[in-house]
Amino acid sequence: MDGAAFEGYVTTHHGEIFRYLRRLSSRPAEADDLSQETFLRAYRAWAALAPDANVRAWLFAIATNVFRNHLRSERRRRTAHDTVRATRREVDFDGPEGEAMAGEIRTLTEAAIRQLPMKQRLAFTLRKLHELEYDAIGQSLDCSPDTARAHVFQALKKIRTTLNGHVPLVETSR
Amino acid sequence: MTSKPKVCVAIEPDLIAAATGEAPPPAAERVHGHVAACAPCREDFARYRAIEGTVGQLRSTPPPAADAEAARARLMARLGDLRSRMVAYGVFPSPLGPILIGRTEHGVSMVEYLDRDDAGASRKLTQAGGDTRHASAELEPFHRELLEFLAGRRTRLDWPLDMRFARSDFERAVLEATAAVPYGAVSSYTGIAGDIGHPGAVRAVAQALRHNPVPIVVPCHRIVGLHGDLVGYAGNRTSLKERLLTLEGVPTDATRIARAAMYHYDPNPDRQYCVPTCGDIGRRRLGTVRLFASRELAEATGLSPCLDCRPDLHPLHV
Repeated sequence: MDGAAFEGYVTTHHGEIFRYLRRLSSRPAEADDLSQETFLRAYRAWAALAPDANVRAWLFAIATNVFRNHLRSERRRRTAHDTVRATRREVDFDGPEGEAMAGEIRTLTEAAIRQLPMKQRLAFTLRKLHELEYDAIGQSLDCSPDTARAHVFQALKKIRTTLNGHVPLVETSR
Repeated sequence: MTSKPKVCVAIEPDLIAAATGEAPPPAAERVHGHVAACAPCREDFARYRAIEGTVGQLRSTPPPAADAEAARARLMARLGDLRSRMVAYGVFPSPLGPILIGRTEHGVSMVEYLDRDDAGASRKLTQAGGDTRHASAELEPFHRELLEFLAGRRTRLDWPLDMRFARSDFERAVLEATAAVPYGAVSSYTGIAGDIGHPGAVRAVAQALRHNPVPIVVPCHRIVGLHGDLVGYAGNRTSLKERLLTLEGVPTDATRIARAAMYHYDPNPDRQYCVPTCGDIGRRRLGTVRLFASRELAEATGLSPCLDCRPDLHPLHV
């Protein structure tokens, strides 16, 4: 597969991969760096990709790996700099951007998603915010589709517990 | 704390799935039947529906478009840069042992003899950093032509070359002058130094050819020492140099060119080539003198037979 074809896929998928990483990361600049890293890695592996591969799922899998690696190195850095961690938390949940962007419930829901254990958070984001199929999520998280589904359901249960009383009920009639 | 009835625990996964739009119709029917009769599960269902609604809003809220657009523009610039540097390579068998061929989008940038059939043995790939990708199928046409060349069925490898891997303008000039030495001909390091207008830079020429990124294609095997010695090829692989020269019809005696069996050309206004016994040409050092394995090869470069020694009438019996 040649480079020009790859650029076609960048045009098609950059937006949603950027949104995915923007949702996972705490700052826009971070999402920018991570999405660049994702596509540069993808380009390097492009020739080895099977012609019938699901490129979208493949790109999400790379983005997920890039994010998890980034998080690991961030964690190492945070351990070394506790004060930085405190500042980051502030940015995560009380940033003016987040406030302006969403209403209170959405902010609370976003916060609840951020507090999820990592695999549940990734599975939930891939499924509920990017509507990936469970087999593609399994590919991203290196687990079976059933395990991916279980992560999403566990995530929903945790979010429900976290938001208990904050989110108005919706009528059950169909 | 009261525990949930078993029936509610059992139906919970389906309830979550139904509330979030993931349950198949039979399961959704079961859930709706259950929540109609169970107030706590009805509340649970409503809460999950509410979460699904909020998540739907999050899904449709994109980040600022300017951010994504700027990120994409930066990515495209970096990809363009990476594309122009990226080396696609393959490792192929050959009569000279495993050979790595690599190319960028500008042309072939690497040819390397390997000790084993493994790209991990390549120094040139290592020097290229991480910007490499394995692409044997893409390189196969080059491999085919190389095999034809090594089998004597082809005398030219007219490959597009990416000379950006030359480390300096001087090195590029040396490689270009070497590329101009035709099939079946032999020149010297001194000769190449003269060709590029730096007659004193003989050692620098030898160094530049030591770093030839594309041996065989830029035929540094056709460049020998001042006395015709087969020196310096791919490290110490002078036997490869001898094999390539023999393939092109150049007579050697293992360590040196057999000059007595080659036609000689020392630049002259009439562009005439000679047999080695014409005057003292056979005893002159290979400074400006160029050697040819056959009359045909000499004449293919536009030279004509010397009117004194008449190589056309008294050809060498090689």
